[in-house]
Amino acid sequence: MSLSVMLSQLGSGMLKSMGIFFLTLIFSLPLGLLVSFGRMSKNAVLRTIVKIYISIMRGTPLMLQLLVVYFGPYFLFGMNIGGSYRFTAIIIGFSVNYAAYFAEIYRSGIESMPVGQYEAAKMLGYSKGKTFFKIILPQVIKRILPSITNEVITLVKDTSLSFALAYAEMFTIAKQIAAKETSFVPFIVAAIFYYIFNLVVALVMERIEKKLSYYQ
Amino acid sequence: MKKKLIGVLMGTAVAAVALTGCGNKKSETEAPATEKTTEAAVATEATEKTTTAEEGVLVVGFDAEYPPYGYMDDNGDYTGFDLELAEAVCALEGWELVKTPIDWDSKDMELNSGAIDCIWNGFTRDGREDDYTFSVSYVDNSQVIVVAEDAGIDDLAGLEGKTVGVQAASAALTLLEEDQKELADTFAELQQFADYNSAFVELQAGSIDAIAMDIGVAQYQIKSRDGFQILDESLNAEQYAVGFKKGNEELAQIVNADLQVLLENGTFDELAEKYELTDMVCLAEAFDDAEAETEAVTE
Repeated sequence: MSLSVMLSQLGSGMLKSMGIFFLTLIFSLPLGLLVSFGRMSKNAVLRTIVKIYISIMRGTPLMLQLLVVYFGPYFLFGMNIGGSYRFTAIIIGFSVNYAAYFAEIYRSGIESMPVGQYEAAKMLGYSKGKTFFKIILPQVIKRILPSITNEVITLVKDTSLSFALAYAEMFTIAKQIAAKETSFVPFIVAAIFYYIFNLVVALVMERIEKKLSYYQ
Repeated sequence: MKKKLIGVLMGTAVAAVALTGCGNKKSETEAPATEKTTEAAVATEATEKTTTAEEGVLVVGFDAEYPPYGYMDDNGDYTGFDLELAEAVCALEGWELVKTPIDWDSKDMELNSGAIDCIWNGFTRDGREDDYTFSVSYVDNSQVIVVAEDAGIDDLAGLEGKTVGVQAASAALTLLEEDQKELADTFAELQQFADYNSAFVELQAGSIDAIAMDIGVAQYQIKSRDGFQILDESLNAEQYAVGFKKGNEELAQIVNADLQVLLENGTFDELAEKYELTDMVCLAEAFDDAEAETEAVTE
């Protein structure tokens, strides 16, 4: 296999990895906020349920969770899973897992806000929703951005875990080419691809951070 | 107000999930629909042939890291002896072949959950008869030991006190854990690994002394690497067949009939030659045996 074919194959795998990456972020970032509300809820039942959810998501390997999401419908309900469920399962698995991590990051940000701000907002006649979205959330985002960047970079690398479901993302393809070529070159190329992608992610996040640091 | 906010967020999340869910379902239902129309035309001519693979699609599960039976070729397409054979069967039936690379460890789950219709990938039949419905055997395989040429290991007895590598969930592993357990007990360690690439690097680096694997794959590997040899003494003799979900006799019968056609019109032997497996194929013998059996019964 020529290097150009290898690059184009890994490139197409990279696109699939990026698909997992972006879809996971789109679903897990809002879902994480929701989960963090549940985690901080005054309702003890909801809070406990969410606590258990976070505990399971963080306490078991993502690879295992992917297998459960993909094969679960068959083992639990005897459902016949079609081929196209593979990708859906990956997105569900990743989103639900990452939402748990993001939720805790959101919580750390929200709980770090001084009570005085809520009181001041109340004095000024802000409603609770308005207080949260106009005053609290913008500051929270600024504070948690470095932690979010951490998770996002981890996510780039974690997309390789979908090899467990043999989804043809970059790592799976690298493994297949390596087997065919009986060489390790595809892995080195894959490593470079991952690194470049993460470099871009880090740069973008840094730029966002700078943009948000309007008080410095 | 907070409740309202949560409601709104939950709503969007649900909507988003529903949207993607629908999106996927749509493409799922759309694809077979178009196939069905084309298939309907075929079906009217070919009468009842399409009863098993309902949508005219045969989903073959294979390990894409298993040359020469199933692997990625120079152009990045999946190919191999088994996949081309599957393609020929699909051409006969007017089915569409869907090549689905699977993680070998998950092959049972993939098959039982219906994600794939069959495992067609140098799949050892011996010892698995109770777990799958098999087609006729088409390749005579044996499990062999690969060692470095300069290791000074010439026979199975020479493996005493050595570390032997074997692929997880492979036939070689089952063999070493059951029929050849006595031999395996003489090893210092039986090391499981995920793919042959890493195993060969370990062998090269000296962290393992030998690898137990299928002869066809072993030949492919030592052809593209220097300094390895296959021990003359093999662990066993066994056969490859296509594995279907236990009880799916219908699909097995169709594939058997097609394999016979492919054998008679020479396609099978051509493919065997292409992948340098001529010495190993046994489809003709398998059919002869079956014939002899039925003759014996009728007599």
